[in-house]
Amino acid sequence: MKALKLFERHGSNVTFGIIVFILAMMPVLLMLGVVSGGSTILFLGKCISFAIVAIGIDLIWGYTGILSLGHGLYFALGGYAMAMYLKMQATGGQITDFMHIGGLTELPFAWKIFTLSPGSLLFVVIAPAVVAWIVGYFIFKNRVKGVYFSIISQALTWAACSLFIAMSPYTNGNVGITEIKSIFGSIKGSANQGNMFLLFYAALLTLVAIYALSKFLVERKFGRVLIAIRDGENRTYFSGYPVSRYKTFIYVLSAAFAGIAGAIFVNFNGCITPSQMTITYSIGMVIWVAIGGRGTIIGAVIGAFFINICEYNLSSGSTVEVWQYIIGVLFCVTILFFKGGIVGLVQDKAPKFIAKIRAGKVKA
Amino acid sequence: MNITRKFLSALAAGALVLGAFGLMGCEDSKESATVKVGLLHSLTGPMAISEKSVRDAEVLAIEQINKAGGVLGKQIVFVEEDGASEPSTFATKAEKLIDIEKVVTVFGCWTSSSRKAVKPIFEEYKSLLWYPVQYEGMEMSPNIVYTGAAPNQQIVPAIEYLISKGYKKLFLLGSDYVFPRTANMIINAQAKAAGIAVVGEEYADMDQTDFAAIIAKIEAAKPDVIVNTLNGTGNVSFFKQMSEKNYSSKEYMTMSFSIAEEEVATIGPAILKGHMVSWNYYQTTSTPENEAFVAAYKAKFGEKRVTSDPAEAAYDAVYLWAEAVKVAKSFEVEAILTALKSGAISFKAPEGVVTVDGKSQHLSKPVRVGVVTDDGLIKEVFATAGPVVPDPYLTTYDWAVKAGLQPLN
Repeated sequence: MKALKLFERHGSNVTFGIIVFILAMMPVLLMLGVVSGGSTILFLGKCISFAIVAIGIDLIWGYTGILSLGHGLYFALGGYAMAMYLKMQATGGQITDFMHIGGLTELPFAWKIFTLSPGSLLFVVIAPAVVAWIVGYFIFKNRVKGVYFSIISQALTWAACSLFIAMSPYTNGNVGITEIKSIFGSIKGSANQGNMFLLFYAALLTLVAIYALSKFLVERKFGRVLIAIRDGENRTYFSGYPVSRYKTFIYVLSAAFAGIAGAIFVNFNGCITPSQMTITYSIGMVIWVAIGGRGTIIGAVIGAFFINICEYNLSSGSTVEVWQYIIGVLFCVTILFFKGGIVGLVQDKAPKFIAKIRAGKVKA
Repeated sequence: MNITRKFLSALAAGALVLGAFGLMGCEDSKESATVKVGLLHSLTGPMAISEKSVRDAEVLAIEQINKAGGVLGKQIVFVEEDGASEPSTFATKAEKLIDIEKVVTVFGCWTSSSRKAVKPIFEEYKSLLWYPVQYEGMEMSPNIVYTGAAPNQQIVPAIEYLISKGYKKLFLLGSDYVFPRTANMIINAQAKAAGIAVVGEEYADMDQTDFAAIIAKIEAAKPDVIVNTLNGTGNVSFFKQMSEKNYSSKEYMTMSFSIAEEEVATIGPAILKGHMVSWNYYQTTSTPENEAFVAAYKAKFGEKRVTSDPAEAAYDAVYLWAEAVKVAKSFEVEAILTALKSGAISFKAPEGVVTVDGKSQHLSKPVRVGVVTDDGLIKEVFATAGPVVPDPYLTTYDWAVKAGLQPLN
């Protein structure tokens, strides 16, 4: 009964604990041969990065009511920063072949920064945070909100994506930065399993830290102010809260999370391309949160894992040509009938069910 | 009530995640009578329309080989993964095919970005990819066999042909990505060496639909031929807008590197009539092998379908792999690579005899310049005397060496 009570009081934390435990067990299961293939671990590593960016989106959308349809921008900025760092470490500060084809003879300044020291890794957070601060500061100060903000976020992401494609001597255009070894060295194949596990656990720890930080924020007065902004921005404003500062802060924080997520993604994926910066990709992230259940943090994590695992398994074999319809129907059903997503579904529908069972028990 | 809710949310969420992991269970039903290969193409997203034809050609080749008794007595089964027109997805899926499905080889990719994304994966897992599309060259992975044209098997001969026909002013138009940029770098060097002028070089966004500004630049530059490396939807918009201004191949001749039979069908033969293209294969190529190939392709996928150069190269890829397996007497990648290195692996393809060059793992193949005809097909107007040896880095061309086109080591 005690265990049940703990469960009841901290439902989402316990769920998160279970997810983390399962993830942490995966490498062990791999060693025991229960799970086949190290690439499963690499895929789950990518899912961890998606869960991190989803938490960031939940903070601004689920809690604060800011719908950003352009978080791919921050994800990719973090990813590119990480990729440039890893590339420069691998080549020792030499110019790359795409710069050569693009007609450059010297390493561009933006790349030189990454040859210096591991300190340049901070750009993984700094780059998205600074961009988000500039965007957020002006937009929120001018009290742009609702769909107008969503449209601006889309336009910015689209512009950035075009810019990255157009500046191909610096960014390698559509191809992006490829052939990147992870921060712990090569992670592919059984010979490099140690590196892979190290990277996986580092990513998992980051996820735990970001989850804890987000929970810490939203369960305090700060979190209630965010919800107040979501539910009645003008009232919050007239109650004397500096709404735009709150909004800017949470927006920058969520961009920083996205940047960290992008950096983790690059380590597992081995490449970063402008398609991570597209609007489609960004909307995909919002959908993870919507499916999982917004305004719950745990919903974002569940949604990111659930949708990506579904996609991974459905987009092959017999469903290879129809998998997008299946996912699409799932989205539509969720949006139309279960606004709270997976978490909301369980919270709303299941209590009645349980009550029935309990009633039955009492009678017995 | 609230407490129950929280508890339940935890329980259900946990169950969901567990269930999802359950989906990933392994499929280890290995029958010794079959051998498993992977197909990795975009079946959804913007590239699906192009890659579908390539995937279909591969399926056709696999079925034909199976009907003829398979390879080393084993029937080929294929596992398909969808790359969803997204390089990172290609990377994830390539890994899944190699590591989880344990396929012996993979046929796949179309865009250079997807190939570059999967290249390190094939190298690190020491697996083998068969890449069926003409591309920009400057690459030679030991774990990829390139069955499409290298630049010296499409671009360079086409420009030589233009020069021989007396064209003196080129206008370079392309989509903004690696193939057009590299192609134009090569063409610039080649034109400079031949003493002809490049009067303009423009790039359009991949999904650009408004070409008014570019057409104005073309009108101002007055080229006598437009060298076109636009890809996908860009071609449709560009040629439609040219024809709206009543510009046909008489006013502005074009030489295209990414327009094959499929694209002609989309844009319309009336608009493209008379324009030039350069490939290794056309549906009209007259060899007995091609007649059989076209007939089989139409029989399986419908009378309205057309074959094209990439589809043919994909078809060749499957047969070349089967041939290499037969010579190596093994499905092991190491053994196949050794067989390929001998330079003796060849196939009587619809385009003519193709041979895997042992050094570069590209194909020796004939080059053909063609003109689009009224019926939407392409008529050959020039062909090289025999197969052209692949030279992905253009090291055998003085002008290319002088221009420093070689990439960094």
